[in-house]
Amino acid sequence: MRIEENQMWGYFEWLIFKFGLLQGVLVVFALALLGFIACYLVAMARYGPSEGFYHVTRVIYELLARDLPGTSFNRVYALGKLAFQEAIRRRVLVIMAVFIVGLLFAGWFLDPSSENVARLYISFVMTGTSYLILLLGLFLSCFSLPADIKSKTVQTITTKPVRPTEIILGRILGFTAVGTMLILVMGILSYIFVVRGVVHDHGVKDVSADGRLGSTTVDARHTHSFEMVPGEDGNYAEGTTDEQKGHRHVVTVREVNGEKTYEIGPPQGLLEARIPVFGELTIFDRGGNPTMRGLNVGYESEYQSYIEGNSLMAAEWTFDNVYPARFSGGDTLPIEMSLKAFRTLKGDIVTGVQGEIILRNPNGRIESERRPFVVKEFSVDHIEIPRKLPGSQDGVPREVDIFDDLVSEDGQLQVVVRCTDGGQYLGMAVADLYLRAGNANFGWNMFKGFLGIWMQMVLIICLGVMFSTFLSGPVAMVATLTSLMLGFFGGLALDVASGDAPGGGPIESLIRIPMQTGAMVDLDLGNPVLENTVKAIDTGIMYTLVTLFQAIPSFGQFNTADFVAYGFNIFGGLVARHLTMTFAYFVLTSVIAYFFLKTRELAAA
Amino acid sequence: MSATTAPEVESPETPEVDSDVVIETRNLGKVYRDFWGRKKVAALKALDIEVKKGEIFGLLGPNGSGKSTTIKLIQGLLFPTSGRAFVFGKEARDVTKNERIGYLPEESYLYKFLNAEETLDFYGRLFDMPAEVRRERSDKLIRMVGLNNARRRQLREYSKGMTRRIGLAQALINEPDLLILDEPTTGMDPIGSREMKDLIIRLRDEGKTILLCSHQLADVQDVCDRVAILHLGELRELGRVDELLKVRDVTEVHAKGLSDELKGKIAELIRNEGGEVVTIDNPTTTMEELFLDIVQDDRPGSRPSAT
Repeated sequence: MRIEENQMWGYFEWLIFKFGLLQGVLVVFALALLGFIACYLVAMARYGPSEGFYHVTRVIYELLARDLPGTSFNRVYALGKLAFQEAIRRRVLVIMAVFIVGLLFAGWFLDPSSENVARLYISFVMTGTSYLILLLGLFLSCFSLPADIKSKTVQTITTKPVRPTEIILGRILGFTAVGTMLILVMGILSYIFVVRGVVHDHGVKDVSADGRLGSTTVDARHTHSFEMVPGEDGNYAEGTTDEQKGHRHVVTVREVNGEKTYEIGPPQGLLEARIPVFGELTIFDRGGNPTMRGLNVGYESEYQSYIEGNSLMAAEWTFDNVYPARFSGGDTLPIEMSLKAFRTLKGDIVTGVQGEIILRNPNGRIESERRPFVVKEFSVDHIEIPRKLPGSQDGVPREVDIFDDLVSEDGQLQVVVRCTDGGQYLGMAVADLYLRAGNANFGWNMFKGFLGIWMQMVLIICLGVMFSTFLSGPVAMVATLTSLMLGFFGGLALDVASGDAPGGGPIESLIRIPMQTGAMVDLDLGNPVLENTVKAIDTGIMYTLVTLFQAIPSFGQFNTADFVAYGFNIFGGLVARHLTMTFAYFVLTSVIAYFFLKTRELAAA
Repeated sequence: MSATTAPEVESPETPEVDSDVVIETRNLGKVYRDFWGRKKVAALKALDIEVKKGEIFGLLGPNGSGKSTTIKLIQGLLFPTSGRAFVFGKEARDVTKNERIGYLPEESYLYKFLNAEETLDFYGRLFDMPAEVRRERSDKLIRMVGLNNARRRQLREYSKGMTRRIGLAQALINEPDLLILDEPTTGMDPIGSREMKDLIIRLRDEGKTILLCSHQLADVQDVCDRVAILHLGELRELGRVDELLKVRDVTEVHAKGLSDELKGKIAELIRNEGGEVVTIDNPTTTMEELFLDIVQDDRPGSRPSAT
């Protein structure tokens, strides 16, 4: 799992500083313009130029002046309730049964001896729920309105004072209610399934004679060894087990009637929702100067960038708002990192690639001592740095306090990572090192993950209802599925459209194919005017395409199941942003659906 | 596009309409087109009718004569190719006019998964009626149409006649001023049919306006005040039912207690004055004869098509 930089943005940061709002407004404006032109062309073909214009503007006028103000909650409720009843009486609850059967037989295809059972179980339930719910949303929304038009029941509705807005809103809300109900039940069942599948107990198998070391019984297909730590009185009172399958247990000793009993607590670290505090990453090049990216070790679209060992290269994260209260009192500062290692020589293969970590005050005068570490690849390395540690001020050694000395007045702290193995490289992205500000509630995090599925469902229902206002059921379904796939896999399309992919726009690319020119060389047709014309047309096409593609919701980004599965708290800002986007798409599709429904002869065969 | 099929530019303001006129069509026409905009069928040609407040107006015609098209155009379910239609002085496409209209479609297009109570509650909500009013009216209507024993059964279990009844109840839920009935008696047994006709007349007497369309000639003859007879999308006859059915060249004399001798004398008198005795019995022409007379020239299927 990797957390993209844009997922770390706060809500208002996205809305204003990252131009989320501006982008939305532009998309709406462009779509409105394109829509108006398209509608006008159709109306012009049918009624002639001046009257076509009149027809188009009249529909817009009626939406704003009559149908929107005339929309009544009571009617929307009635139509929504009808859609709900229709879905229930079409036996959608069978979906529930399918899900429960899936859970019952999950043991047949989920490996309980997997390295990370929690991740496996969470991925399974969330994927299962989203497939079932998205399919359900697709079928419900695409077939309902066409079926009503075909069976002519819609004629009994539209001869009542029902606005097209109400038909659309009622449908969307009714189906959303059905889906919400199902997601809620599935979510609760999923939570129970995951918790019961993951939580386990161990007993004590044997303890060494001095009572310091021991091992547990085999439960849930694994066993731990444990080590007790002597207390102040010299007796062994508490200890922890080793880490197996991503978790540990706390071991406590109780003395009852002179006999020692060891108790092993519940697993820790399995169902987590870590709250990371991300910083900003600056890379320093071989000369020690800040640079945009580190070295590229050869992968084309590498997420990480690399720093070279034993050089001046370094990665520096700057964190904001570092206060003791955020780190449960601040006795220690927990840092978690998952760096990558790239080896150019075999080196010491047993120890692995080594690096060092330094905490530094942004003023550059106070810093901690260098803390060596060995890169743990493919897993999260958890380091607890004690509050008081050796360091230096202006080069003079002294003991430093993280929060008093290293954190600046405005709450900033810098963490510097270097690679100490000459000839080896460390790879990192901004999300690969973070301060760990405790845990959020796992259940709440799972709820937010299911909210992501819910938002995808709402999007599908909106799209399905929109397409079903002018297409027949099966065609509407194909159209919705197409947008779904474009949304999921639209990255490439967007890259081509936005010009990020090399080789130019569609026409230029088309010319390049027969000419067999590489995508990286400039287009050479031997005629600058022709070249510029091609590029200008391409720019126009690409601009239109970008607008269209941005109007299609990228479903992938609403999927936050990985956060839950990999134990990251889903940021509130991200949820709020997704909710905003869902609402925006809801409004957009409703308006488009309105225009189609309003201009359609519902009684035409 | 040819100028003949384009509608006149509509002015947004409501036209001046006599308050007594409930439905007015002006030059109303509809051409069905295929996907490519090619003309398929001219279903209705330049219809001008006025339906006045408090009358029962019948639209009569064989299958495919444009009756249903007219009704759908009046309700805004179809958009006219030419001309305009007004209901209560409002454009046909204005949904607010529906507040005062009750519509019984040709076949009751209702949701089969609802029961009678839910159906009426649902349609009541569409009129934004408060809960008590909905409950009270649906109870009254269910009793009125005689479905009290079946009120909690899903409509999928209903017979055709029962479906017509709940359809009628649904059309009356808003106590409409105008009732539009498409083939109101189809599927009903003779008693139900009689009840329906009685109800239509009773509603008229309460001051409501009724537009009904039918090819059940007897129904039309029994209840309608005025009829329009459509054939091949054209208006062929329009007038009061009693006027239309009057056989103008036959005189009807009603007398009681005539002896055969006196009848003979009367017959002789008529002959002497140059008349002709057709029959001494009461003459009856019926809607059926009138109807067949109008439509016998050509039957559906020979409809002109402009392809």
